[in-house]
Amino acid sequence: MNDVTRRLMTDMDPDLLTFLHSKVTSFVKWDLIRFFHENPHTADTAENIARYAGRNVEMTEAELVELTELGVLVKNQLGSMVVYSLSNDPGIRDLIRRFAEASDDREFRRKAIYHIIRGMR
Amino acid sequence: MDRVTTGIAGLDDMLQGGFVPNTAILVEGAPGTGKTTFGMQFIHHGIAQCDEPGIILTFEQFPRQYYRDAANFGWDFRRWEAEGKLRIMMTSPEVSQAFFQEAGGQIEQLTREVGARRILVDSISHFERLAADPVHLRQLVYSFINGLKREGLTAVLTRENVALLGEAEGQDESVPFIVDTYILLRYVEMDSAIRKALLVLKMRGSYHDKDIRRFTVTSKGIEVHSKFEGQEGILSGSPRRMAESFIEAFVRR
Repeated sequence: MNDVTRRLMTDMDPDLLTFLHSKVTSFVKWDLIRFFHENPHTADTAENIARYAGRNVEMTEAELVELTELGVLVKNQLGSMVVYSLSNDPGIRDLIRRFAEASDDREFRRKAIYHIIRGMR
Repeated sequence: MDRVTTGIAGLDDMLQGGFVPNTAILVEGAPGTGKTTFGMQFIHHGIAQCDEPGIILTFEQFPRQYYRDAANFGWDFRRWEAEGKLRIMMTSPEVSQAFFQEAGGQIEQLTREVGARRILVDSISHFERLAADPVHLRQLVYSFINGLKREGLTAVLTRENVALLGEAEGQDESVPFIVDTYILLRYVEMDSAIRKALLVLKMRGSYHDKDIRRFTVTSKGIEVHSKFEGQEGILSGSPRRMAESFIEAFVRR
């Protein structure tokens, strides 16, 4: 990609660009962030969340652990179960809401995909 | 006695004004009979007419499906959520069970956050995958229902019945014993058409109408009508006119 393209792709809300670079580092994370945005009161095990998201359990669990380390999710031990839910941090919730709303726009999605793929290289 | 009104036209009269507060109500029926609509109407009526916030605990459907389905009846669940009068929580039976057993669990927090008085659990059938043993299943559901009551909630629990017409075989029969009120929704084949029937089979601590009533799902929700006149065998799904069964029983012998 040339500099012009790179510049066009980074032409977005700087908070969302930082959020993308720091938290949304894979497509599964994107899916999970959207899932918790749409289901903000969900608290469940990796196995059940994988089922809701239609994803493989091992892959989902690894991404849930990373999102927890990044402060997007919180993890609770409930008896023998590990349960994940959305962080109550208002700043994180606001960023997730803005990211989800921005994702409704095709251009934003195109740019987000560009950054995720670049980050995965 | 105080009653928890359902907002379902015709049903509150059958229940002498509504459900007994802080009880568990099982609504059982085949797919498409209107169990979830029944529960959503109960929640909507509580918020819109009784100032009683509610919770929907779902083990299968996503919140957006409730928003969409409720909107078809003119019930704005997104607005209730935004106003802090409704919370829709999607989780699993095992996690919700553990939450109720733990002090300060997430369901307890949500209940207190919105001041919920009503809950729809959609559906209790999912508990069946937690225990194959009927005794263990009964203990699980009993403990779960007690958790709901401890929080002061009046709970509508839906349960799937696999039989489209007539009785379902192989279904666990312990749950109806645990709940306080048991309502059956049934398909009935009559005059080459499928109609729907509602019956209040049990209501602990209260008199209730024992008629088998017709009901319809309209653009405003469920409406319960008059009883089926001159028919028998309604619960078999294929009723006969009483005159025909009389002839069969006494004349053609």
